[in-house]
Amino acid sequence: METLRNTFDFSDFPRIDLMVAGFVAIFLVVFPLVPHSSFAMATMIQFLMFSLYGMGWNTIGGYGGQVDLGKAQYVGIGAYTTAVMLIRWDVPFWFSMPIGVCLAVGWSFIIGYPLFRLTGHYFAIATIATSLVLKDIFEVWDFVGAARGLEISPIKYSPPDFLRLIFKEDIYYYYIILGFFFLGILYVNWFRKSRLGFQLRSIKDNEEVAQSLGINVHWAKIKTYAIATAFVSLVGSFHACYIKNIEPEDTMSLDLSILIALMAMLGGAGSLWGPIIGAGVLIPLKSYLKEWLGAKAGLVGIDLIFYSLIIMVVSAAEPRGIWGIVEKIRRRKQV
Amino acid sequence: MALLEVHNLTKDFDGLRANDDISFTLDQGELVGLIGPNGAGKTTLFNCISGLHPVTSGRIIFDGQEITQLKPYEVARRGLARTFQVYVASGDLTVEENVMVGCFMRTRSRAQAKARAREILTDLRLSDLADYLMSELPVSAQKRVTMATALGSDPKLLLLDEVAAGLNPSEIDEIMTSIKHVHDDLGVTVMLIEHVMELVMKVSHRVVVLDYGKKIAEGEPAKVAKDPLVIKAYLGERYVREHAEELK
Repeated sequence: METLRNTFDFSDFPRIDLMVAGFVAIFLVVFPLVPHSSFAMATMIQFLMFSLYGMGWNTIGGYGGQVDLGKAQYVGIGAYTTAVMLIRWDVPFWFSMPIGVCLAVGWSFIIGYPLFRLTGHYFAIATIATSLVLKDIFEVWDFVGAARGLEISPIKYSPPDFLRLIFKEDIYYYYIILGFFFLGILYVNWFRKSRLGFQLRSIKDNEEVAQSLGINVHWAKIKTYAIATAFVSLVGSFHACYIKNIEPEDTMSLDLSILIALMAMLGGAGSLWGPIIGAGVLIPLKSYLKEWLGAKAGLVGIDLIFYSLIIMVVSAAEPRGIWGIVEKIRRRKQV
Repeated sequence: MALLEVHNLTKDFDGLRANDDISFTLDQGELVGLIGPNGAGKTTLFNCISGLHPVTSGRIIFDGQEITQLKPYEVARRGLARTFQVYVASGDLTVEENVMVGCFMRTRSRAQAKARAREILTDLRLSDLADYLMSELPVSAQKRVTMATALGSDPKLLLLDEVAAGLNPSEIDEIMTSIKHVHDDLGVTVMLIEHVMELVMKVSHRVVVLDYGKKIAEGEPAKVAKDPLVIKAYLGERYVREHAEELK
């Protein structure tokens, strides 16, 4: 009962936050019903996916302060599990997705156990390494299509196929990922107030103190790493059905890992809204800049310049990201 | 009844003997001071007892069970809490949340942890500070909060590492009241490392004195203060020689 209450209890946020959040939620629900371009739709789906990636990353990276730069490997595990199972054995998304999550979480325990013996920069570097190793393996593994990747061909199915998540129109994908988005917010809202959430925040504060308060620091980190993994693996499975064409280079790349981490950090690591704000700023910026500038006159890469500029400015002003700036201004007003 | 027994504890750091064959016991309900000049090995001793440093040799028995090999969090779960001398808080947690982390050791329920944290904060007269971030507080308040946090785990024994260091006299009075309250009213056995002599000599039933890693004296504060070995440790050999008459 208490768990349920905590999940839906947002009362510790100021009313203005909740009003903004309410408006955003309403906008997200009605967005597909107002006229929009297919490009806008694709951007919105990307935004929701990256919000979920960020929310997952935020549990271990934000609340726990463990900078994880290897989340793409779990995106890959989720995406490949769903794609392989669908293509080879015709297993629908709703079965392959949980299996993908289990495989990813299992792998995260194997990786996490030795990795969390490391701290700080060493941990971050090690997460990059494990992710790249897995990507290299997938690039030569014929069972999963090696470097060519896998393609889910929609002609074989009769869309709309709700079991296999094969649709012609993006609106279906939109509402499904929106459902996961709301569930993700509720989960993180529970997490941040749970015992594990408090333990993680205490670990971020000071590990020695955390241990002296009865917290098994190593185990708490591994558990939270698994939670973060479940989030990204789930979205990875969705990615496979939505994009229908997956290869190691885009589902498991270092770019993706870093984008996930940066998005959450930019928005505000360790806050509920941070990753959503980060994705809300960066994803439209990224895709529209690419669309407007990248295609014209050899300006390829200019989006990346803008994008790094914003990150530099924000991290110089406030390391806790956009949300950190908001909170700082608020606290100043209070005092 | 002995709550904590330390038998022949020795701790080496790469050839430097930080604790040398230290033995003492703490009885249930005692309030004991641990004193000694800088570098005497007091904090190392706390770190060994709380499991942060593995001991080189010796045994530690807490509440009838051996805890020598246990990890810090296992020691904590058995009811041995401690505070740290230097508290570095990145400042993400408010005072109340900090205390809640301690309370979460005994419960999974957030509501219970919160209620217990409120109780402790009220008890230590810290409830006005509940919503401040740790980093916004002066050192004296931070130290009292770390005490409150340790109390959140409902310990049988509380090890306090220099809670009065760097405080002014009125703040020292405040923290002394808090320590006495924790011991007298909450029934927690307390051992405290302290350089502030007026505090440690006033509140302790007994003091243990370390110098260069060895235990050089133990007993009632008034007696220990007159012990030539202790005076030598603090003031040097020459002082003892020159003031031999007064000391007798």
